[in-house]
Amino acid sequence: MTDAIHLERLHYRAGKHFEIANLDLHVPSGSIYGFLGPNGSGKTTTIRLILGLLRPLSGRVTVLGLPMPEQHAQVLGRVGYVPEQPHLDATLTVRELIDFQAAFYPRWDRARAEELAGRFELDGDHLFGRLSKGQKAKLMILLALAQCGDLLVLDEPTDGLDPVVRRDILSALVAYVSERGATIFISSHLVHELERVCDWIAVMDDGRLVTEAPMEKLKHGTKRLVVMDAPAEIVNPPFRVLTRESANGGGAGENWVVGDWEPGMTSYFDGVGASVRDVIDLDLEDGFVELLRSFRKVGTRR
Amino acid sequence: MIAMFRAVLYSQWKWSRLIVVLGTVAAFAIPLVSLQGAARADRGALQAPELLRAVQSWGTLYPLLATALGLLMAIAAWAPDHRGRHIHALTLPLERWRYVLLRFGAGLLLLAAPIGAVLVGSSLAVLTATLPPGLQAYPIALAVRFAFAVCVAYAVFFAVSAGTARTAGIILGAIAALILVQVVAGIANIDLDLLRGAQAVLLLGPGPLAVFAGRWMLVDV
Repeated sequence: MTDAIHLERLHYRAGKHFEIANLDLHVPSGSIYGFLGPNGSGKTTTIRLILGLLRPLSGRVTVLGLPMPEQHAQVLGRVGYVPEQPHLDATLTVRELIDFQAAFYPRWDRARAEELAGRFELDGDHLFGRLSKGQKAKLMILLALAQCGDLLVLDEPTDGLDPVVRRDILSALVAYVSERGATIFISSHLVHELERVCDWIAVMDDGRLVTEAPMEKLKHGTKRLVVMDAPAEIVNPPFRVLTRESANGGGAGENWVVGDWEPGMTSYFDGVGASVRDVIDLDLEDGFVELLRSFRKVGTRR
Repeated sequence: MIAMFRAVLYSQWKWSRLIVVLGTVAAFAIPLVSLQGAARADRGALQAPELLRAVQSWGTLYPLLATALGLLMAIAAWAPDHRGRHIHALTLPLERWRYVLLRFGAGLLLLAAPIGAVLVGSSLAVLTATLPPGLQAYPIALAVRFAFAVCVAYAVFFAVSAGTARTAGIILGAIAALILVQVVAGIANIDLDLLRGAQAVLLLGPGPLAVFAGRWMLVDV
């Protein structure tokens, strides 16, 4: 499987206090790739580097097999982009914005645009500046989908929207992917939202990649263990220890959060004189929080 | 590319139509007003200086109108992109120089209306006037000069307006520095006339802004 987006040792600096350092990212073609991270972690900057809006200091960006930003005109013709804030002109109507966009994209699907405008209940005569936040988000999605790109890059597309609008947008995206086999790169800090639709997840914090893994691996491989009689030092465990701390109430028990966990791994503890009393599933949000905590403590990629 | 140009032209028309309409009306009216009274039957040769003075004083409005049109159209061409921090424009699938060219071309095409209005207004004014003997009308030359002035003003302001706030700051800073040096030179009694020098370089032929200087005469000897 080729990568729709491939970042290699990307380095970018914005001012004195923020930099993206040695970022490697591989977004498989045909995947719905969730890009998670807290606010200010560098998600939007990374997206702008991917789209050629910013130039990296070093490193390589390849999108749909073409180098960016060198081939930005060819690449952007195949990429639908929904920015974090709608940047369209407020004085144009919905119809005028659709017509404007249609003129620039050779694969523009007028029928799809009409169908989505109907489904999203967008009135063509309304000025963009007078649309509600939800309507603006729907229009941005419409514009991204109707250009029939091979890749959709969505920067927090449903942030601040009500659940009904969020569901409308996500279902339109999923339908598009199943119909066209396109790749979606979607950034968000809303973990539950990505959990429902994504098959790959990357987590970013403070300009660095915390982890990149298939959703199933991340979701089912992250566990909270209650470990009894744990030794102070453990050597070469088959899983990753993200955090370990004394269990509430003291005693010999400890709470561990581990990654890359598989069911048979409890036997490892027998070999080091410890035992696992409980294995607790974590949802993606808990796993995300533990990953970040661990990353911030240690400062290396997990 | 034609579809793209049409789309850019339409958006730019929507943003600047008030400027275009008002500019066109003004461009049509100025030549007519400047020759008002020239059709009086009793006007003789002695009234020619009076007519020339009137035409000359009204003529100062042409460079002012050209400058205002160039400035306002350039601002209108970039204002929505500036408001959107250029994100939409930069994510369109075409080379950036092409996008700039589309915006520039659309603005120029819209400016054809006031330029045409000067030509029509001047021709109509001349046709309906009875000029004193010895005077000639130059409607086409006036319209061509107005067209040059509009193009120069639009190009200059378009380039400045396309830049960032930093670019505008650098330009304003350079002008401020020039004035400051002049003031300091004046206080120190140094024989230095930078402003006059700058004016000569810019406004006297073959300076880049020479088209604005001098008399703008619809009717002359």
